[in-house]
Amino acid sequence: MKILVGIKRVVDYNVRVRVLPDGSGVDTDGVKMSVNPFDEIALEEALRIKEAGKAEEVIVVSVGGDECQQQLRTGLAMGADRAIQVKTGESLQPLSVARAFLKIIEREQPGLVILGKQAIDDDNSQTGQMLAALWDRPQATFASKLTLSDGSATVVREVDIGLETIEIDLPAVVTVDLRLNEPRFVKLPDIMKAKRKPLDVVPLEDLDVGADSNLSVTKFAPPAQRAKGIMVEDAAQLVQELKNRGLV
Amino acid sequence: MVNFKTSGATDALRRACPELRLVTEAGVLASHGRDWTRFREPAPCAVAFPKSVQQVCELVACASAERIPLVPSGGRTGLSGGAVAAHGEVVVSFDRMRRVLDFDPIDRTVTVEAGVVTAAVQELARTRNLYYPVSFASEGSSQIGGNVATNAGGIRVLRYGLTREQVAGLKVVTGRGEVLECNRGLVKNASGYDLRHLFIGSEGTLGLVVEATLRLTDPPLPSKVMLLGVGGMDALMNVFDTLRADLALTAFEFFTDRALHYVRAGLGLPKPLDTACPLYVIAEFDCPTGAEEDRAMASFERCVQQNWLLDGVISQNDRQVAELWRYREGISESISHFPPYKNDLSVTISRVPEFLQRMDELVDEICPDFEVVWYGHIGDGNLHMNILKPGAMELSEFESRSHEISEKTYALTQSIGGSISAEHGIGLLKRPWLNRAHSAAEIEMMQGIKNVFDPAGIFNPGKLL
Ligand SMILES: Cc1cc2nc3c(=O)[nH]c(=O)nc-3n(C[C@H](O)[C@H](O)[C@H](O)COP(=O)(O)OP(=O)(O)OC[C@H]3O[C@@H](n4cnc5c(N)ncnc54)[C@H](O)[C@@H]3O)c2cc1C
Repeated sequence: MKILVGIKRVVDYNVRVRVLPDGSGVDTDGVKMSVNPFDEIALEEALRIKEAGKAEEVIVVSVGGDECQQQLRTGLAMGADRAIQVKTGESLQPLSVARAFLKIIEREQPGLVILGKQAIDDDNSQTGQMLAALWDRPQATFASKLTLSDGSATVVREVDIGLETIEIDLPAVVTVDLRLNEPRFVKLPDIMKAKRKPLDVVPLEDLDVGADSNLSVTKFAPPAQRAKGIMVEDAAQLVQELKNRGLV
Repeated sequence: MVNFKTSGATDALRRACPELRLVTEAGVLASHGRDWTRFREPAPCAVAFPKSVQQVCELVACASAERIPLVPSGGRTGLSGGAVAAHGEVVVSFDRMRRVLDFDPIDRTVTVEAGVVTAAVQELARTRNLYYPVSFASEGSSQIGGNVATNAGGIRVLRYGLTREQVAGLKVVTGRGEVLECNRGLVKNASGYDLRHLFIGSEGTLGLVVEATLRLTDPPLPSKVMLLGVGGMDALMNVFDTLRADLALTAFEFFTDRALHYVRAGLGLPKPLDTACPLYVIAEFDCPTGAEEDRAMASFERCVQQNWLLDGVISQNDRQVAELWRYREGISESISHFPPYKNDLSVTISRVPEFLQRMDELVDEICPDFEVVWYGHIGDGNLHMNILKPGAMELSEFESRSHEISEKTYALTQSIGGSISAEHGIGLLKRPWLNRAHSAAEIEMMQGIKNVFDPAGIFNPGKLL
């Protein structure tokens, strides 16, 4: 079985994101870029499945410009066997990304597709679900435990009321949650090896996925600044301040 | 310690400073009567919590008139017993002086009261898109006053220097009751003796630091961290030389396999490398683009070819940066229960290999029955030697055995021009060996300086000098 894993290049989770003054986007100049943390967990899970002898090949796929090759190389260094870059200069909406993935699926015929439950930059949480629908295969989202058996998978999902366990037929799309696993460190010798692993570049145009959706981002704005708090001396002053503000 | 007033000190202070919060409750005496060290039982007569410079001045005036010994106390994370009050002193805590007084974006400085916690300054800098580079495992508790008094170092000295390099101004209250405003945030000031620098590293023996103006700097570039497995002591500095030539290092730390054992057990961390190695290094470097990572790889390969390095991992995101740092930053805490007898040695970088070699032989010879855990800021020539107390041994016997070891360790350190304290200070625990770090003439001059600032000798008697 082949496993396909999606990898998105995003601003590092620990970076304090700053909106550009003209509202056209966020400042990525000199900012640390990393693999979307959920995608890292997805890849870790795929590698564990392979190491357990239940898959033969792990392929990482990213849709984006050449800079995302850096994140694909990270995936290869973690242990993926090969990488595919669907090359585009545009920043695509989830539906187009799902369509591009579908084309890759048609070529590769994976038994399992593992994606992050969302990307931490746009927080859309849509690609996995859309892909499953387009592919017309089962989906298991927000996975916190994944067990494979012959032709099917048991998935524990994190839902609002607790944990839900479902069983799905393979091939399927699984999107992963934070608690699924702890991704490994990359071994330095493996970075060298990763340089020799294949990384195919497929222009988006060649995949014939049609035009991007009719959704476009018009403006970015930082969250409203919280007003500065004040220290009150005692309860009486607290009550007075609340009254002054018309809150009691 | 002559003629100190310890009985009745509390009453005298209450009378002279009615506004001052003075606590004599047993729990507070125990908690505020000592630092991180465990070799002396805390026994202060009271703990004072001044709220303003004014209150500090009143307190000092009374203490000086009545000859009440004072022990300045910050976050109490000190490792040399500097903030220990074991003889009925009054502890002066800065816990209630935690205000940020000023931030100046043009000077890029922040002025804070002495009780502000180190991590709070780091955070404040971050919110202004600036950086306060002094960083170490206890930064969540240690205070700026304590950092100044010990000239604290930490893990980024290699790039940014010690606390001394960050201090642009100090407000201090001397034993004569004067308030000195040293340097006032100036970049340049060639007007005679720079008293600021005397207070930095003075370990609370010259006066009380009440405010500090600290320099902030540009935020660091995106960085990566490597955890590397080193072949042996002799390879360590070769690895440092190689990486330093190829990369813009911000930190270079080392620890032994025994240290790894304890930190893994203490924090429940997984094995970082597949290969077991005698020594490990944490190397952090600027890595804004892929090019630096390629250079790091090439550097790594060269070290592997020389058999200096056996294995290594590299962070892929900032979460992993933090995870890898835990292997180094968690060590101190993971062995604190023994407790360890800590030596904080430094030599010039060029003499590190010779020093390590000779220390290794010495340890084998003088303490084969003790477990010794080594780690430290090796890129600064600074080694922390931790001798662990065997479970069955009495603390007092352990201390006297450790002293015998110190005697020889310090003699060796002195013989190659090193120091018996790199960053923790002399305090109470290293005081008997001050003469291993300074000549008799130097110590006499230090005593003279002490007498000028603290004529009544009320500040931290029995510490440092
Ligand atoms: C886990 C751990 C890791 C550490 N790592 C490092 C490290 O990497 N590098 C390093 O340098 N240190 C390290 N330390 C030691 C310690 O954190 C530093 O020495 C720190 O600067 C002490 O600050 P503090 O506020 O806790 O001071 P305290 O321990 O309270 O006091 C230290 C000294 O300063 C004096 N003092 C405190 N406040 C004032 C004041 N306002 N005015 C005058 N004198 C004052 C005290 O009398 C005492 O002599 C570590 C400690 C721990 C527990």
